[in-house]
Amino acid sequence: MSADRERSAQTAAAGAAGAASVGGAAGSSGVIHDIGYRSYDGLRLGRAQIVRALCWHSLRSAFGIGRGIKAKIVPLLTFVIMCLPAVVDVAVIAISRSPTRQISYDTYVPQLRILVLLVFIAAQAPELVSRDLRSHCLPLYFARPIRRIDYPAAKLAAFFLACLAMIEIPLLLLYLGTITQVRGTSVIWRETRALIPGLLLGVAWALVLAGLGLLLASLSGRRAYATGAVAIFFFLTWTLATLLTQIGEHGIGPAPPGAAPSALARLAGLISPFTDLDGLRMWLGGTTPGQIPNPGHFGPLYGLMFLIFLVTGIGGLAVRYRRVGVA
Amino acid sequence: MTARPLTPAQRSPGGPDRLAPVIATTALTKRYPGPVTALEDLTVAVGPGVTGLVGSNGAGKSTLIKILLGLLAPTSGTASVLGTDCAKGGTRIRMLTGYMPEHDCLPPDVTATEFVAHLGRMSGLPATAAKERAADSLRHVGLYEERYRQIGTYSTGMKQRVKLAQALVGDPRLLLLDEPTNGLDPAGRAAMLELISRIGAEFGISIVVASHLLGEIEQICDQLVAIDGGRLLRADTISSFTQASAVLLVEVDEGTEQLRAELARHGLAPVPYQKALLVALAGEATFDIVRDAVADLGLPLGRMEQRRHRLEELFREEEAPAIETTGAADVR
Repeated sequence: MSADRERSAQTAAAGAAGAASVGGAAGSSGVIHDIGYRSYDGLRLGRAQIVRALCWHSLRSAFGIGRGIKAKIVPLLTFVIMCLPAVVDVAVIAISRSPTRQISYDTYVPQLRILVLLVFIAAQAPELVSRDLRSHCLPLYFARPIRRIDYPAAKLAAFFLACLAMIEIPLLLLYLGTITQVRGTSVIWRETRALIPGLLLGVAWALVLAGLGLLLASLSGRRAYATGAVAIFFFLTWTLATLLTQIGEHGIGPAPPGAAPSALARLAGLISPFTDLDGLRMWLGGTTPGQIPNPGHFGPLYGLMFLIFLVTGIGGLAVRYRRVGVA
Repeated sequence: MTARPLTPAQRSPGGPDRLAPVIATTALTKRYPGPVTALEDLTVAVGPGVTGLVGSNGAGKSTLIKILLGLLAPTSGTASVLGTDCAKGGTRIRMLTGYMPEHDCLPPDVTATEFVAHLGRMSGLPATAAKERAADSLRHVGLYEERYRQIGTYSTGMKQRVKLAQALVGDPRLLLLDEPTNGLDPAGRAAMLELISRIGAEFGISIVVASHLLGEIEQICDQLVAIDGGRLLRADTISSFTQASAVLLVEVDEGTEQLRAELARHGLAPVPYQKALLVALAGEATFDIVRDAVADLGLPLGRMEQRRHRLEELFREEEAPAIETTGAADVR
């Protein structure tokens, strides 16, 4: 401590000597402004707090906050589109005075949600990781009092929270809109019980999508490539899973009515994170009809695939940033 | 060169460890798979003040800096910075150390203030302090109104200053600057060197400047560490480097070779330098010998001056006795 004090006394003296030229020095770039040096004796945050600050900064940038107008367009638009069905449903309940929700909490509006999330992740995951790769500023982060793993950890936490907000804020809007218009604690209790699985599934969605999205985005510093990689992976696997499910259900050609879904239809959903999460929901007891037929006894496979997606995304990100160059 | 009101010892943090080296390495070796040896058995102690770390490209300067920051594990040997072991206390070292990388590392689409303040946060400053210190350090490096502009609109010189400001923002005890004059024009180089020298002298911060340009680094350093091929060439204070190097420059308009032979006959060892000869000064007698030799041969003497042997020439002699041309101030 005494060392610090002595040092600040020295620098304060230097500061007093040089303070005279502060006023007139503003302006042209070539001039070195002699204002003296002030050392910093205040509070210093620890590693955990720095990581939290990085996480908060990244979360803000996931929604374009603290960036230009252009950076806000996609996140704002996707967020509004995502909330719209909830708002409309609540409005319908209000106008028709019939307290029946059309949208379920555990699937929300499946097709729209998948498409909107796809756009959000493809556009915003590169915002979090590709920019730093592109401008080579990772060495600046690594030269700070955090560890190497802290950087991807903070980014992952931030993007997880961003995806969670995209998924769960509409659910909460729907919930709040519904319970303000119904009477009786039993209805509110029923709504709450229906909401909780939806929220928990939202956590699972956000974990898988954030991990895979960031991993794919971190493969390239070129933003266009990063966006492309994310979009192609999610869209291709989803299209493939949907297509194979349909073939499995109906065969090629007109559908035989009332036929039980084949094994192909039950397994095809494993290909895509989106359909896998849907299968996971049904395996865990979700009853709302989904994108794919109920996996039935293949359910554990959906659980396993969920873990594989999770580990690939999070573990892959950790490995990616262990290998990235220091300078 | 700027005046230095404080000696290196005064500038260092006080207390019982005031004479402790800022950086110390013992038998430090780093091999990359390949096998490429980046550092070989490097043992060096660096005191407070401004230290030049010189060596040609690929000599191991950047590797050494990464090891010192605790970002790279040495193959063998130890290194410590400000009394903390680099292998174990990397986080602590990075809290006390500012690092300016060699390469471009700035995002183009944010303002300098925002970027430096963000990195101040990453150095452990609370939000308000980070903003204040970002403004301060940008002002110290000579960016004032421009700091609200996006970095992408900056000139190379301004970008280098932002890189220096982000190293300074966390109020470090030690700055590690990797080729800070990279890409700058002569005026920009001079301004950057002046800035570094001032930070060392007035801010009470020890600085290690890695550079392959000996000529410019010697102007601002108190000490010099020269490495080549990952090995320590020499480490000493600037004065002891230059004390041993008082030389006499003799230039004759013609007959340089004759004069060289004549001087050699008198026991001097002249070294050709550009069109002239350099003779090591060993007291008054040397002047007499040179004067007599020129007079005896009847050569037109163009110039005779006593000068400080520039460090680059010292290294040239050690590394490559046959000197062809000069001009560029590279080590090689």
